[in-house]
Amino acid sequence: MTRSHFPPSRRTVLRAGGWSLAAGGLAATGASWDRLTAADIPGRDGSMLTVAVLGAAIDPTMQKVLADGFQELHPDIPVRLLAVQAKDWNDFFAKILTQIAAGRAPDVVYVATEGVQLFADRLGVPLDARVKRDAAELKEYFADVHPSLVESMMYEGSLYQLPVEFNAADMYLSTTVLRRTGVELPPDDWDRDDFTRLLRAMKRKGGAHFTPFYWTNRLWGGVVPWLFVNDTNILRESRAPGGEWLWNSFYDARQRAGRGGGFRWTTPTATADRTVETYEYLAGLVRDGLCSRPEGGSGTNLVGAFSTGRVGATPAGGFWAGGLHQAGVARDAYDATYFPRWRSQRHQFGGAGYAILRTSRRQDEAWEFVKYSTRKDVMTSLFAANTTTPARRSLLTARRYARTGPAHWDVFYDTFDRFPTTGPIPAPPQVAAVELALTKHTATALDSPRKVAPALRAMQADLERAMERGI
Amino acid sequence: MRSRSRATDRAAGGAARDRAAQRRQRWTARLFLAPTVIGVVVFTVVPIAGSVVLSFFRWNVIDPAHYTGLDNYRALATDSSVRAAFGNTLLFMVFAVSLQLLIALVLALALQGRMPNWVRQALRSAFFFPLVLSAASVSVVMKYLFNQDFGVVNWLIGQAGASPVPWLTDETWALSAVVLVYVWQQFGFSFLLFVGGLANIPKELHEAAAVDGATGLRKHLRITLPLLSPTFLVASVVGVINALQVFEQPYVLTDGGPGDSTRTVVMVLYQTAFEELRFGEASAVGVVLFALILVVTALQFRLSRRFVHYQ
Repeated sequence: MTRSHFPPSRRTVLRAGGWSLAAGGLAATGASWDRLTAADIPGRDGSMLTVAVLGAAIDPTMQKVLADGFQELHPDIPVRLLAVQAKDWNDFFAKILTQIAAGRAPDVVYVATEGVQLFADRLGVPLDARVKRDAAELKEYFADVHPSLVESMMYEGSLYQLPVEFNAADMYLSTTVLRRTGVELPPDDWDRDDFTRLLRAMKRKGGAHFTPFYWTNRLWGGVVPWLFVNDTNILRESRAPGGEWLWNSFYDARQRAGRGGGFRWTTPTATADRTVETYEYLAGLVRDGLCSRPEGGSGTNLVGAFSTGRVGATPAGGFWAGGLHQAGVARDAYDATYFPRWRSQRHQFGGAGYAILRTSRRQDEAWEFVKYSTRKDVMTSLFAANTTTPARRSLLTARRYARTGPAHWDVFYDTFDRFPTTGPIPAPPQVAAVELALTKHTATALDSPRKVAPALRAMQADLERAMERGI
Repeated sequence: MRSRSRATDRAAGGAARDRAAQRRQRWTARLFLAPTVIGVVVFTVVPIAGSVVLSFFRWNVIDPAHYTGLDNYRALATDSSVRAAFGNTLLFMVFAVSLQLLIALVLALALQGRMPNWVRQALRSAFFFPLVLSAASVSVVMKYLFNQDFGVVNWLIGQAGASPVPWLTDETWALSAVVLVYVWQQFGFSFLLFVGGLANIPKELHEAAAVDGATGLRKHLRITLPLLSPTFLVASVVGVINALQVFEQPYVLTDGGPGDSTRTVVMVLYQTAFEELRFGEASAVGVVLFALILVVTALQFRLSRRFVHYQ
């Protein structure tokens, strides 16, 4: 008698069935044990207000001030900080967007100027109605925050974030190098030629391994501050209409003059005469050995070189005071002043604040968190290390900078008052493509003065494509 | 007659039992393979298919996807950055793989020379060590070393009386720096393969060649290299596949610059998807890269018929 031709054999099926039962039993036993799973992470089930921030999950200050502090004030709103590590803002936004695509969108996201318009355009909730409703409560905050900062968080007439920090691109100078060169800290109204002369003097005294001016190739603090002082930009800049509801409520006539509903960056101007002129000047500095060829990245290796007198000057904001202090640099080993004047002395800045996402089912609780983040005590604790510039003017005091320096800490906020046209870095919704085009072609343009024109033509083409394409 | 039919029946029954046993074996094998096959299908085949499908859509994560046909592929063909990236990647592959194999082979042969066993072991570990490090971490450190103004590399060049080299900021030098960093980290893998391959070559062949009067170089050319050719094939195939997918080193060291001089295909894929939010175009880049790797690998196997000698 032959066996059935039907595969598999009964014995095989029975054996497989036995194993399956055994495995099932084992799995059931495992499932019945008390153990941690992803669902046990607080807030993963959507029961908490989730706030995404850029930074390390182990940062105790952030946890204590933002989460625990908020919890004390609002015990009825459980909050969870979602710390996202990223190399820069674009990387951070990419990670947030990936979470949104995966259906795990946070309620609140910390957004810098680089992402303000991207989030406002596609993801953010306008705060107008809530700001109007809580105007009395917010009056003190707006009185303490420069309108330029607030305007940078507006988009097409609506406000999307309340700024909590910013950094303007001022100029840091090594006092060691200044002493070695035998010159004083430049005056506030110094100009481009003074700057060039200073670099030449530094180079004469600096020796072989000395770089008078060191900078990095990026959107903030790269070539853009130079474009600003030469009264130009890589994209045509204008103001959107609207915003009167805010200006008329919180700012006096002098402060609200010329304000609008946020910035618009449109037609690329990479081949404009002034842009070309700016690049030619910088390429000349590189050629003469007065400044570094700018590398990409955040210039992390700069602290050591600056503190040991191998770099004379570099563009930085208030954040670097804390950075230098943490690296053990003495408070009198450096100082800060304004960026030198060219056709104007308009400075560049980048700010940040919390945005509420449209997908959030907790927008009212999120708004409470946004307001909480703007409180004076919160900012005082959160920014105690001076690793950024607080958005509130009243927090910039001699006492705050007594430990870290610099001596002229007042330039950080006075940049707005001294140069009222000071504005945000150009960051339309297509910011990633814009930044890529800028950094990519800046590197080749500065190779030599004769490479400036072709590189800027290529930049113009890339920028035009980026602006046409949208996101 | 009866006995013959019984024998025939027995034979027929035996054959049927054999077939049944074979069937059972096949099913048992399938059962054991099932978890792996399911894993491969779910985590490799489905995502690949998903990428292929997505490459015909426009999708930015935020808005709903919409079908665009071959537009993404057309966009790639007209994008000078993408063309540059493919050129850079192929150039990188040629130099990185050649250098990697050459260094690995020379060092593996050198380790066959006379030396104390502990020295051989220590060198073997040292050559393999970079491979176990994180590529991103290595690249961060290398970025310091290759810095034009403060880097150790230029300091050493300066000590020799030469001018500093703009390793990471000049189009002429940047790709070379990326190749050097990559090769330093990756050659250990090929080195280990060659060490294994050399160990498998019978000593008698070398002894016989020595008796026939063959010198060191001739022995290597006539015996070692031909017998090492299968190892060479494996090392080069793996090397090419890895090199065509290079990402961390150029991303950290130069961010693809200056200009597009060190932008690689995977960098374009990453930037297009995760920075510019054009996931459809990024998927198209991935599909084209997949096809490129397939073609290059097939070509290597095809050529191997002529150059690879098996004992």
